[in-house]
Amino acid sequence: MDVVSFVFTLFAFFLLLGALGTVFSRNPVAAAMWLVLTFFSAGGVWLLLQAEFLALTLVLVYVGAVMVLFLFVVMMLDLNLAKLREGFWHNAPLALLVGGALAIELYLMLTSPAFHRAAAPAVAGSNTKMIGEVLYTVYAYPFEVAAMILVVAMIAAVTLTHRKRSDVRVVKPEEQIAVKASERLKVVSLPAEKE
Amino acid sequence: MALELPNFALLAPQIVIALAALVLMTAGAFARERWRQWNYVVAQLAVIVATLLTVFTSGDPRVQTTFGGIFLVDWITLVVQLFIYLSVFAALIYGRFYLIERGLERAEYYALVLLSLLGMQILTVANHLLLFYLGLELMSLALYALVAFDRNHALRAEAGMKYFVLGALASGLILYGLSLIYGATATLSLPEISSVAALRPGDERVFGFGLAFLVAGIAFKFGAVPFHMWVADVYHGAPTPVTLLLASAPKLAAFALAFRLLVFGFFEYAHYWQPMLMVVAVASIVLGNLAAIAQKNLKRMLAYSGISHVGFILLGLAVGVVEGNHQLALNAYSATLFYAIVYAVMSLASFGLILLMARSGFEAEWLDDVKGLNQKSPWFAAMLLITMFSLAGVPFFVGFFAKLAVLQAVVAAGYLWVAVLAVVMSLIGAFYYLRVVKLAYFDEPTERQPLIASSETRVLLSGNALALALFGLMPQGLMSLAAYAMIASL
Amino acid sequence: MTLTHYLLLAGALFVISVVGIFLNRKNLIVLLMCIELMLLAVNTNFIAFSHFLGDIHGQVFVFFILTVAAAEAGIGLAILVVLFRHRQSIHVDDLTELRG
Repeated sequence: MDVVSFVFTLFAFFLLLGALGTVFSRNPVAAAMWLVLTFFSAGGVWLLLQAEFLALTLVLVYVGAVMVLFLFVVMMLDLNLAKLREGFWHNAPLALLVGGALAIELYLMLTSPAFHRAAAPAVAGSNTKMIGEVLYTVYAYPFEVAAMILVVAMIAAVTLTHRKRSDVRVVKPEEQIAVKASERLKVVSLPAEKE
Repeated sequence: MALELPNFALLAPQIVIALAALVLMTAGAFARERWRQWNYVVAQLAVIVATLLTVFTSGDPRVQTTFGGIFLVDWITLVVQLFIYLSVFAALIYGRFYLIERGLERAEYYALVLLSLLGMQILTVANHLLLFYLGLELMSLALYALVAFDRNHALRAEAGMKYFVLGALASGLILYGLSLIYGATATLSLPEISSVAALRPGDERVFGFGLAFLVAGIAFKFGAVPFHMWVADVYHGAPTPVTLLLASAPKLAAFALAFRLLVFGFFEYAHYWQPMLMVVAVASIVLGNLAAIAQKNLKRMLAYSGISHVGFILLGLAVGVVEGNHQLALNAYSATLFYAIVYAVMSLASFGLILLMARSGFEAEWLDDVKGLNQKSPWFAAMLLITMFSLAGVPFFVGFFAKLAVLQAVVAAGYLWVAVLAVVMSLIGAFYYLRVVKLAYFDEPTERQPLIASSETRVLLSGNALALALFGLMPQGLMSLAAYAMIASL
Repeated sequence: MTLTHYLLLAGALFVISVVGIFLNRKNLIVLLMCIELMLLAVNTNFIAFSHFLGDIHGQVFVFFILTVAAAEAGIGLAILVVLFRHRQSIHVDDLTELRG
C-alpha cells in the first residue's frame, strides 16, 4: 500500500464514520460534532485530489461558520431529546429498502467502464490561481448571481428572526436627531400680570 | 485570455430588478415609516421597466448569447419572461391589500419577491449548468423565506419548513445528476453537453442515471407526483399573495428549466427521460384530480388541481419524440408552452379571486366562504364562473384549448390510452370546479360583508378573467406565439 | 487511487445521507445536517471528476455550491428558529395544523 492509498483509506474511513455518526447519534450536538469530523475528513480527501483551495474553504467556512451556526441554534433551542428520538426506527424498513436499492444501483453505475479513467497529468501551479483566473472572467456573471443569493439569505434571516422588543428601553438616535425644536420647547405667550 | 466585454443590453432587465431589490432592502432598514407606500411603487416600476427593456433590447432575438455563451436569449426566453413579468405584476397588485391589512406590507417582502423574480429571469437565460443551479436556488431561497414571511402564524413557519426541507432535497438530487453528467461529458456548458452526448460516449447508463436524478428534481420543483407532498401544505400554509405567486411565475420558470435541460441538452436521450416524465405526468393527472375532490379548503383544492395541470405540462414534454422520430416535437412542445402560459394566467385569476374575497381577519380560503358570491357581486361571481370553467377545460374557454392541444400531441404520438385517461380524469375533475360555481350561485351566503378591494385589483382581475374567455374564443394568437417561439428557438 | 474509488466514496456518502433523511424525518435539525452531507457527496463527486478530467470548471462549480449551501443553511435555520418560537419543539409530530 503506497502512501496515497493509505491516506485515502484513512480519510475515507473517518469520512464515512463521521457521516454514520451524524445520522445515528442521539443528540443533535453530538450529530453536529460528527459532522465536523466528516467535513475535516472530506477536506483531506479533497487535498488528495489537489483541490487545495476548496479543501481549505470547506474547513474554514463549514467547520468555522456553518457548523458553529448549527451548534448555536441547537443550543439556543431548548430541545426535548427523548422526544426527538421517538420513532427513529419507525421508518427503518423503508430507509433500508430505498438505501439498499440506491446503493446497489449506484455501485453498478459508478463502477462502469466509462469512469475507468487515467488520472489527468498533474497540473503545475497554484490551484487557487487557476480558480481565480476563471472565477473573475468566465464566471463573472455567476459570481454576481451568487452575491445576490447571499443577499437573499441575509434579508431572509433578518426578517424572519429579528424581533423588535417592546419591553426594553433603548435610546433611538435617529429620533433624537430628527427631533425639531418645536416638539420639545413650546413658547407660550402669557400676558404679563398686572398688579 | 482576451477579455470580451459582455452584451450588457441583454442583461439590463436583470440589472434593473437586482438594483430595485437592493434599493428596497436599504429602504427597509433606513427609510421612515411614512415612505412605506413607495416600496410598492418601486417594485412595480422595476417590473414594468424590466418588461419594457426585455421587449425593446432583445428586438427579434433569433438566438443571442453573451458572457462567453453561458447566457442565452431566444424567443422562448422572451415569451416565458414576459409572462413571468405579467404574473409578478398581477401578484403584486392582487396581494397588496391583503398585506396592508395584516401589517405585512414591508420593504423586505417586495425585495424578496424581486429577488425570486431575478432567479426566474436567470433560469430563462441559463445556458450553463452552473447558472441553472444558481437561478433555481435564488428563486427557491427567496420563495422559502416568503412562505414563512408572516411570522405571527405558526402555520406559515410550518409550511416554510416543509417547503425548505423538500426543496433542499430536490436541489441535492438535481446536483447529483448534474455531477454525473459533468463526469460523463467533461463540460458544464449546455450546448457542449448536447453535442458530446449526441456522440454517445462511453456508458449510456451514466446518462440514464444522471437524467433520472434530474427528472426527479424537476418533478419536485414542479410539484408532480410522487414528489407532490409539499404542494398542498405549502399552498395552504403560505399567505395567499405568496401562494398566488408560487402557483404562477415559478411554474413558468420550472418549465424553462425542464425544457432547456431536457430538450436542449438531452434531445438525443429522449428515450430515457420521456418514459420517466410520462409516468410522473399520468400519476399527477390521476392523483391531482382525485385528491382535489376531497378538499374543503379552497387553497388546497387549487393546489391539487395545480398538480393535475402540471401533469398536463409534463405530458406535453413527454411525447415530443416517437421512436427517434422528431417530426412531432415542434407541435408537442408548442402545446406544452401554451399550456404552461394558460395555467399561469388561470392560477392568477383563481387565487386573485380568493384575495378579492379576503379581508382583515377573514381568509376566504374555505369552500363555504364562496357561498352566495352572486348575491354580493354578480360581476365577480361571473368572473369566478369563467375562471372555474377555464380550469375545468369546458369548451370555448382557453383552458379547453390548452388541454386539446396537449391531447392532440399525445394522440399523434400514439398514446391513445393516455389521452383517454387524461380526458376521463379531467371530466372527474370538472366536478370540483363546478361545485365552486354552484356554491357561488345557488347557496345562501354565510355572512353578508360586502367585498372590499382596491380599484386596481377589481380592474385587473376582471381583465384577467375576461382574458380567459376572450382567448377561449380566439386562441389562435397565443397559440401561434407559442409555436413561433418554438420554431424560432429550436 | 482511481476515479472509481473516489466516486464510490461519494456514492456511499450519498446513500448514508438519503438513509439519514428517512430515519430522521422527525428531527428537523439532523435532517438539515443530512442535507449538508448530501451536498458534500455531490461536491466530492465534482472534485473527483474535475481532478481526473484535468478541468478546473468542476471545482468552480463546487465553489458556488459551497456558497449557496451556506446561504441555504442560514435560511433553513432561520425558519427553524421561527418555528420553534411558535411550537417550542422541532419535532415533526407536533406539526399538525397542515393535514388533509
